[in-house]
Amino acid sequence: MKKFSLVQLVLIISALLACSPAFADSLAPFKGEKGVLKISGGTAHIPVMKEAAQKIMIMNPEIQISIAGGGSGVGIKQVGEGLVDIGNSGRKATDEEISRYQLKLYQWAIDGVAPVVNPQNKVKELTKSQMIDIFSGKVDNWKMLGGEDRNINIYTRDEASGTRAVFWKKGLDKGPITPGAHVVVSNGAMKSAIAQDPYGIGYVSVGHIDETVAPVALDGVVPTIQTVQEGTYKVARGLYSNTKGEPTGLTKKFIDFLYTPDGKKIIEKRGFIPAQ
Amino acid sequence: MKLRTLERLTVLFSWAAGLLLLSAVTLLLGYLFVKGYESVNLALIFGEAAPLRAILLQERVFNGLFPAIVGTLSLVILSIVWAIPIGMATGIYLAEYAEPRAKRVLDAFFDVLAGIPSIVIGLFGFSFAVFLHKHYSDRIGPCLLISSIALSFLVLPYIIRTTQAALEGIPRDIRLTALALGATKLQNIFLVLIPKSLAGIMSGIILAIGRCAEDTAVIMLTGAVASTGLPRSVFSQYEALPFYIYYISSQYADPAELMQGYGASIILLLLCAILFSVAYGIRKGLTHFAFYRP
Amino acid sequence: MKKCRELVAERAFLLSALASSSITVAILAFMVFMGLPLMRQGGLYQLLLKPWAPYQGSFGIYPMIMGTGAISLLSLLFAFPLSLGCSFLIGSIAPKPAGRGFRRLIELMTGIPTVIYGFVGIFLLVPIVRELFQRGSGLCILTAALVLGIMITPTMTLFFCDSFDRIPRTYLDAADALGASPVQKLLYVILPAAKNGMLNGVILSLGRAVGDTLIALMLAGNAVRVAESVLEPARTLTAHIALVIAADYESPEFRSIFACGVVLYLFTMAVTFLVRYLSFTKDTTV
Repeated sequence: MKKFSLVQLVLIISALLACSPAFADSLAPFKGEKGVLKISGGTAHIPVMKEAAQKIMIMNPEIQISIAGGGSGVGIKQVGEGLVDIGNSGRKATDEEISRYQLKLYQWAIDGVAPVVNPQNKVKELTKSQMIDIFSGKVDNWKMLGGEDRNINIYTRDEASGTRAVFWKKGLDKGPITPGAHVVVSNGAMKSAIAQDPYGIGYVSVGHIDETVAPVALDGVVPTIQTVQEGTYKVARGLYSNTKGEPTGLTKKFIDFLYTPDGKKIIEKRGFIPAQ
Repeated sequence: MKLRTLERLTVLFSWAAGLLLLSAVTLLLGYLFVKGYESVNLALIFGEAAPLRAILLQERVFNGLFPAIVGTLSLVILSIVWAIPIGMATGIYLAEYAEPRAKRVLDAFFDVLAGIPSIVIGLFGFSFAVFLHKHYSDRIGPCLLISSIALSFLVLPYIIRTTQAALEGIPRDIRLTALALGATKLQNIFLVLIPKSLAGIMSGIILAIGRCAEDTAVIMLTGAVASTGLPRSVFSQYEALPFYIYYISSQYADPAELMQGYGASIILLLLCAILFSVAYGIRKGLTHFAFYRP
Repeated sequence: MKKCRELVAERAFLLSALASSSITVAILAFMVFMGLPLMRQGGLYQLLLKPWAPYQGSFGIYPMIMGTGAISLLSLLFAFPLSLGCSFLIGSIAPKPAGRGFRRLIELMTGIPTVIYGFVGIFLLVPIVRELFQRGSGLCILTAALVLGIMITPTMTLFFCDSFDRIPRTYLDAADALGASPVQKLLYVILPAAKNGMLNGVILSLGRAVGDTLIALMLAGNAVRVAESVLEPARTLTAHIALVIAADYESPEFRSIFACGVVLYLFTMAVTFLVRYLSFTKDTTV
């Protein structure tokens, strides 16, 4: 992270120096730019990416930014193969990936991964060992946890998911996830699946939690963006944007934008903690 | 007496089946329309942008279906442009030139092609794009061009089959008149046989357009993305209606977005309904085996 | 000059025929080429009969094959009686104008986009199935098969109607002359004579059910385990391709979806040749 503080510093200072309306300023570097920027990967990032892209494209219609999901693994692979300009990931790229693709990592936000249930579900608190038992399939009825007498429907993500990797490592202590679990393809899909299934349990980026799903307290700590920031909720992670080699041109300007005050405002609005 | 019961049961069973299918489909479409009709308006398509300015490309549309509709239209047009010449030429070859043996072999090929699941064709298109990217140009990736080529593979059998069937269905006397008057085989084909079988060929083309407009499996692998705006060139990624519906169904962020999904479904449905009624309207004596596609 | 043009045109037609038929071969060749390293490495047996557990290094597609089988066969089970009844209605039971109108309607139904079946299925049928059986999430084999069944019924009905239409006029005239009622004609003349064509229709519809991606992807839950009941989630070969597509191009996960592609392709080929064989034998016996 230290690496980028200089860039941030310069940007903050330049933003402070020029005292005109905020967005015009953060967006100033995009003036006169044109071209296409392709982004894919981490699905937790999508709301932030979408809003930033929209702001930029409204300011400068010559720029086109396309945003696709796929999951962290996909983001890293696609940027590595040169299919996209920015590959997002909700986990840190492994050393092997970094050296193989000469990746540059930019962490622009802190996020958590929270277990979620339907708001109708009475079970809102679980211990870690209960969580491990649920996801391994050992505990398969909500009655065993003080809920209704219904089977637990487990939802998980595909292998490319960074959210899955983080939750599996820090939330389940690398315990097995039953192959009988439903598989969904993104944080958004996880949220709407749980919102529709009163007996489901899954895990989702903390920034994505809204009134349609209820976070489950893990060992007594309710996962919110505050507890993640305070460090009391342990299943935390960074949100990264990765480039192949040193970014240039539009790619660099886009990443820089995420570190401007306006970029940070978007990140905060979407429920994440902007990186310091 | 026992047979009478069987006959009566058959009648009862048939009406029950017909009623069941009708009510299932009515329920399906009724649910869609009742839930979604409110969302169908100009704002659904153009978001906050002014419609006229958006159509003239002076203003970008966000939160509207306009880019998806344009994406689908460009996709359909491109795919049809690839598929029509090759498909028709192949159909003509099968009907007018091929020897019985060659015909039987080629027929088998096209039957298989017609049966290949669209996701497999999508997978082929995707890996082909990656292959091109690695070995030829960095600029090529999954994009509009790749999608349209893959889709043209998908609908090629429709066009081949309808062209072939329409040509073969022409009566002998019409077929021979021009030849007897000294026309060459080629003149006969282009001046007599094709104009004569245009209705059949057109219905095949329209069905192909319908398939291109509704297919999701091919485009989700070959370049359709959730958000990008209007496609700039054939090498750019694009939005498309069916992909948008699929995307919204699993990851709508709020009820407003879900309503857009309903709206998009209604628009796509109307589009396909129009295309299919036209196709069946001008269809003349072709069997469904020609249109078969999984 | 004229001759030259004729020749060029003929060559051009031949060339396009060769080009379009080579697509069929090219797709198979590509699938096999991409999937080969995995097949060689793990052996065909491993690939087809092992479970999917990427973290344990097992990339078998057995659960997906079973999922595809369960969902498509069950959907056929729903669609067959429905189609049979509908084609009876159109063929002889309903009054002629009503039958014709019904047929038009069914032709239109074949044009309903698949993604719309899936979309409505998620919001309408999934909660119903969940509450009706008080088990599971509603995203399961049964839901997917129900929707898939409704989707393939129009096509299957039209296949059946076509095979009814191809029965020689003389058969029907003979039945009429003997004073058979429409139902009797249907049961004792049309049905036995159209048996082969109907079998074709069933096989082609099975091909369609197996090849469908969207409905299973959206409604079946995509779990990678062989389901024990129809209320459990399952993943089909097609949905597996859609889910894993985006992985690393060198990884065994990515290779495995080409194995799925090969399996689907070979299945298509089997269906096609079976249908061709059946039509051929029918032509020689009738």
